[in-house]
Amino acid sequence: MQSSVARGILLLALACVLGFALMGFEMLGSRYLYPYFGGGINTWASLIATVLVALMAGYLLGGALVDRTLSPRLCGMLLVFAGVYLFTIPLWVDPLFGWMLTSVGDGMAGIVLAATLLLLLPLTLMSTFTPFAVRLLLVSIAFGGRIVSYVYGVSTVGNVLGTLVTTFVLVPSFGSRALTMIFAGVTILCGGVMMLSDRFLRGANP
Amino acid sequence: MLKCISAGRAGFGRCGAAGLACLALLALALPLAAAAADLLEKRESLYNNIFIFSDGDNVSMTFGQNKRYYTESAMQLSDPGALIVEYTRFMTMGVAYPPKLERVAEIGLGGGRTVSYLSASLPDTGILAIELDKDVVDLAKKYFKFQETARLRTVVSDGRAFLLKDSEKWDVVLIDAYRGPFVPFHLLTQEFYRLVKSRLNPGGVVVQNIEPSTMLFDSASATLKSVFSNVDLYDGGGNVVAVGYDGPPVLQAELLARAAKVQNRYKLRYDLTKLAAERRILARPQGKVLTDDFAPVETMRAIEKNNEKWKEQTEAPR
Repeated sequence: MQSSVARGILLLALACVLGFALMGFEMLGSRYLYPYFGGGINTWASLIATVLVALMAGYLLGGALVDRTLSPRLCGMLLVFAGVYLFTIPLWVDPLFGWMLTSVGDGMAGIVLAATLLLLLPLTLMSTFTPFAVRLLLVSIAFGGRIVSYVYGVSTVGNVLGTLVTTFVLVPSFGSRALTMIFAGVTILCGGVMMLSDRFLRGANP
Repeated sequence: MLKCISAGRAGFGRCGAAGLACLALLALALPLAAAAADLLEKRESLYNNIFIFSDGDNVSMTFGQNKRYYTESAMQLSDPGALIVEYTRFMTMGVAYPPKLERVAEIGLGGGRTVSYLSASLPDTGILAIELDKDVVDLAKKYFKFQETARLRTVVSDGRAFLLKDSEKWDVVLIDAYRGPFVPFHLLTQEFYRLVKSRLNPGGVVVQNIEPSTMLFDSASATLKSVFSNVDLYDGGGNVVAVGYDGPPVLQAELLARAAKVQNRYKLRYDLTKLAAERRILARPQGKVLTDDFAPVETMRAIEKNNEKWKEQTEAPR
């Protein structure tokens, strides 16, 4: 197999897995927010807005970084950091949200702040992967459109699976805390793969 | 947070005018005589699609979901003080247990019939209804003769969030929080019941309406039993009313004596000593205990169980 094809498969597989985990965290986020802020449309609006802001910030950050460094290792480090943050959520979420409920309240400010503290930073770091993947796959401008469409398409397939499988299969079968740690572990693993295959992923790029 | 009458039976497909007629006859699982129900008001709130129906003498509040209607509350216009939904009479059984009756809280207002009845019956008791949906409070006032007074107040909040923020204690906490067919998972977990327990005065009780036809009943009652040393169950004609309390088990003679004392003092319309005769003790909980970590309430609710089987988990009081 040509190494460029292998590189493409690896990066698209990572895009799919990370897309799965990202939406998995959004669904799990609701399980952490409900007990403190209720299970209404407010909670979902806050969660969805937080994830969208994270995607935006991650794309901007990832695009800026990849043009400057083109370093898969750096992207991998960001993913590992995100995974570690997510892994620790079950340790601090209950005391923090309990404190927030009494000090900030359960209005819009409270829910948005809670969703932000829960997910904004790690999901921002996770979504830096997309511009990295696009740039690493972009060997010729002639394929630019397709490269972008593959990365976004495959990542979105991961999003869809992450939403449905998490909700209908995983949450009814396992505890939310265990799932959070498993997804965090998968994110760390993806970061590790990127760090270890730094040279391979750079390919012909300097 | 709202009331539900036998959600599994109350919901059914809407099929035009015939469906509305069925609603009047079946939705309440009550022998209502009217042939058709008029829609008085439809309101889309932040949390629910609320429909107020009337069929002459009865008015009902229902939540629409998946083209089904789930009755949350019902009232007879010619006799608004009557608790025409049978299980709500058993919800009042909670007031027989505690040593004093100064403060009662209810999570889930619905039409407010239960708290209105208690407030009218117990002139020395302060009652707070905690209701998530402001529109439900408005419609309860508009159609169900619900009136706030100095002793009967409402607060618009998620029930659990309110108890977390507010450390006041209660003698009785009534929980009747349904959204259509569902109870939000965070109002069914061990952590939630522990929170409720921490907000009870000594000898206080929690009273919960549980729909018995699915797997969720087993888990909800087992979870309650994992937090409170005693759980009594009352067959409310479709729904089951669970009463959880701590300390040594109250013998039946003692409960009857307490019920008689409250009954003699306040002359309640639905005689507590008669309600007490329906008591069963939850002796063999079978369900999996629900926690904030693991509470697949949607899945459990989807698995139907024989309606009467729940009694096998109970025994007669001694």
